[in-house]
Amino acid sequence: MESNRSFLVQLQILTKRMVFRVIRRPLAELPNLIISAFFLFVYDGALGGVFGGAASGTPFDFAKGNFVNFILPVSIVSASLSGAASGIYLVEDIESGVFKRYQSMPISRWAIILAPMNVGAFRVLVQSSLILGIGKFIGADPAVGNIGFLIVLSLAFIWGMGFAGYSVAAGVKSGSSQGAQAATFLFFPAIFLAPTFVPREALKGWLETAAAYNPTTYVIESMRSVMVDGWELEVLFRGYLSAGIFAAITLTFAVISARKATEKA
Amino acid sequence: MLAVDVKNIKKTFISKKDTVEAVKDVSFQVKQGEIFGLLGPNGAGKSTTILMLTTLLSITEGNASILGIDVATKDKEVREKIGVALQDTGIDNLLTGRELFFTTCRLWGYSKKDSEVRTNELLNLVGLIEAADRRVKTYSGGMKRRLDLGLSLVHSPEVLFLDEPTTGLDPGSRRVLWDEIKRLRDNGVTVILTTQYLEEADELADRIAIINEGLVVAEGTSDELKASIGGDVITFAFDSDDDLENAKNILSNTVQEKNELRLTVEDGASKIPGYLKDLTGQGVEVSSVSANKPTLDDVFLEVTGYRLEGSEESPTPDEESDR
Ligand SMILES: Nc1ncnc2c1ncn2[C@@H]1O[C@H](COP(=O)(O)OP(=O)(O)OP(=O)(O)O)[C@@H](O)[C@H]1O
Ligand SMILES: [Mg+2]
Repeated sequence: MESNRSFLVQLQILTKRMVFRVIRRPLAELPNLIISAFFLFVYDGALGGVFGGAASGTPFDFAKGNFVNFILPVSIVSASLSGAASGIYLVEDIESGVFKRYQSMPISRWAIILAPMNVGAFRVLVQSSLILGIGKFIGADPAVGNIGFLIVLSLAFIWGMGFAGYSVAAGVKSGSSQGAQAATFLFFPAIFLAPTFVPREALKGWLETAAAYNPTTYVIESMRSVMVDGWELEVLFRGYLSAGIFAAITLTFAVISARKATEKA
Repeated sequence: MLAVDVKNIKKTFISKKDTVEAVKDVSFQVKQGEIFGLLGPNGAGKSTTILMLTTLLSITEGNASILGIDVATKDKEVREKIGVALQDTGIDNLLTGRELFFTTCRLWGYSKKDSEVRTNELLNLVGLIEAADRRVKTYSGGMKRRLDLGLSLVHSPEVLFLDEPTTGLDPGSRRVLWDEIKRLRDNGVTVILTTQYLEEADELADRIAIINEGLVVAEGTSDELKASIGGDVITFAFDSDDDLENAKNILSNTVQEKNELRLTVEDGASKIPGYLKDLTGQGVEVSSVSANKPTLDDVFLEVTGYRLEGSEESPTPDEESDR
């Protein structure tokens, strides 16, 4: 009986259970996915005509003839927000008392907390991959070749885990799923205080300043570099660094708050 | 060895706003193979006591051990030995009963194969085999409680803690659960349960501790507790308030309860004629009189000074029903 009691087995069992929960509520997956796809289609439809091939030879040729390449990173960042579900999953268990039941069993508390993070990560990968697939289908073609898709996905993953950490920390701290849900409001400043529709140089005044402080900016620019321009290692590195720092900070907060939540009162 | 040994435990919740002494001083001992009932009203400190004993809350002061294992210092070992069904049932609504049992078996370390076998055993034991493949969301309150009980039995615990296992159930479902709990006891499991129902403590528990405002105010078997009152309870009922007031003055040491007066005396039945003579002699009209052996209700009144409200009515469904 002891053989099954290792941390990894517990984590696997708890993750599987969490996956069941997600599968049983398929509709909950749709909004974020639809919003992300919507961005892709609407912005490409609205702006692709002007800033796509038609901009060739003008100063506005920042998409280098393929606006899908340029706008896809915005959709991907939006899709990566699906990581924020981690906190919601965890808080649901706290609210329902399932969390307490697990605590009364000889199970590692880290397995209990990591399971929803796992599922959040999985969600980020699935949603981002779907959006990338749609992007490719409507004409995305990375300047560095298909490996560009993988780079974009890996950035989305790190970024998504940052949101997962944020939602876990916010959810556990507020102790309610509304608290975790509120984390998704970060969506607006994250996406719109950034060089969403045009490059940073084209932003003006306060928005340019805000974008400079928004880590999303560097993630989007990093993704764009491989999609539009080719290998620009410094830009690429800045993206990974921003996403990595963001994730490191929020995950640290998540661990601290989760440890508090699992301590005996 | 004692199954549970609790010595002067105390729990104080300290927050910025205030300090709550949820459990002030609770001690009791439970022998192996016994059903022990913690009887008390809302807010008495029952759940807090259970949470401390099941390692989910720290103990502010005092000592507790389960099967000789110290609860405060060896929580992991204690968790191996105990089964727990808390008052706020932590049940995953989106899964089926079978999936819940299977997952719990796996978490307790059973192999996949053994988990399947054990799942079926337990589904049968708690009478949920027919509903096994339905999502728990569709279960009735009684079914959820039985599921909860079953989940706490997965690893065949030696000591089982049940916090208000029948609150919110109709009398029929309660009886089903009582029978299951008794069967467990007969198989050697020690059961510590909390309840706010006198009848449940009376019927189910081998021994009872009455807990009130964080203190154990009486302890013993149901018969011992009743005997501790000494004698019989004579109840006089009156139709008019004047009669009641007059009677109060004539008889000493009575306890009033609405339009009734109660008196605890040795050998009650033989004393009724004498009391009636005294009362009617002074013009007091008595509408009815009876002598009874004391009930747990009387014991509760005696030790706490008030009655456990609503204990005779069937309970109202609690908030858990909408889960
Ligand atoms: N975490 C907490 N913080 C502050 N006070 C608490 C906490 N938990 C319980 N209490 C208080 O401690 C007292 C005892 O609560 P407890 O839940 O143990 O009662 P109970 O006997 O289980 O009642 P019930 O029959 O309603 O379940 C109550 O006054 C309650 O408000
Ligand atoms: Mg309680």
